[in-house]
Amino acid sequence: MHIPDGILPAAVTVAGYATAAGATALTIRNYRREDIPRASLLTAAFFVASWIHIPIPPTSVHLVLNGLMGVVLGPMAFPAILIGLFFQAVIFQHGGLTSLGVNATMMGLPALLGYGIFQLRRLFGNGNRTSTAVFAFLGGALGLGVAALIALILLVTTIPTYMDVAAERASIITLTLAHAPLMIIEGIFTALVVLFLLRVKPEMLGDHAS
Amino acid sequence: MNRIMNCGRENRLRAALVSLGVIALLLISTSPAYAHGAKIEHRVSTTIDIIATYDSGEPMAKAQVSVFAPHDPQTPWLTGMCDAEGKFSLSPDPALPGTWDIQVRQAGHGDIIHVDVGGDRATAGGAGNFSAVQIVVMAACVVWGFIGTALYFSKRRAD
Repeated sequence: MHIPDGILPAAVTVAGYATAAGATALTIRNYRREDIPRASLLTAAFFVASWIHIPIPPTSVHLVLNGLMGVVLGPMAFPAILIGLFFQAVIFQHGGLTSLGVNATMMGLPALLGYGIFQLRRLFGNGNRTSTAVFAFLGGALGLGVAALIALILLVTTIPTYMDVAAERASIITLTLAHAPLMIIEGIFTALVVLFLLRVKPEMLGDHAS
Repeated sequence: MNRIMNCGRENRLRAALVSLGVIALLLISTSPAYAHGAKIEHRVSTTIDIIATYDSGEPMAKAQVSVFAPHDPQTPWLTGMCDAEGKFSLSPDPALPGTWDIQVRQAGHGDIIHVDVGGDRATAGGAGNFSAVQIVVMAACVVWGFIGTALYFSKRRAD
């Protein structure tokens, strides 16, 4: 999922930084100090998640949790993901520093989509645990799914011509398809976390969870 | 008279044959290996062996390898594919000294290393090759930083 340095053309990495900078500016504009502890703890979880590999033959994938970030944090998910990705690149060499903007955009914007999906639960009334769980699942799963789709498009359209393009395209598609089971896993995980927080500490979910 | 002349020619001819025979005998007796001459040519070359693995430890089986010579970092000097164990070997042209870039890529993942040919240095392009223990310790420090940040702002809110 994380695109490392040296894979994408320079123009794409610059565009990624521009998009990430704009999204960060927009999402932290209305931040509140009381959001920071929650965002910080979720960033820690996001940071460690990429270290957890799940074998899905013929490949393996790792947890991303960008959908969970969006559902729980709302707009603050974008800067939180940006910071988490920075530390993942430095400590784990997951992703890279030149591709940080692209990766933040790729995972951060779908996280905001996950937040938007989670908000739809209000259509079924506040406090409805079933709709809360369903939309938390959808937010978590689709947040990851859209991120994987963006990665697929970015990678497939920028394969260097000197490579065996067909083979590389096939391996990219295989890896993307391996994220389908992971979508289910992260969707369920997001729903469980949201239900748990609703029960023990509903304020952790912020205004958008009431 | 003719007989005397013929006799002299026969003697010279015999003497010449004997001389040739002696020379041939000398050659044969002193250099018996001339009939099985061997020739050894040599060329000093450098082979670079790489093993590409994911950070999970799995080999990058069948990953594509692109090798860039120092004089042209845009066009691959060699392309190939790792074997099932993620191994690949190449012999860079010693006439092209400098830093050779070797990129291994599969499904948009991969890395690039820079190898000095003509020197004795090979440096990996990644941010570092840490042991698992080092990574765990560093990750724990980062996590503690996040928790500390959360505690700090929680305390401020409580105040």
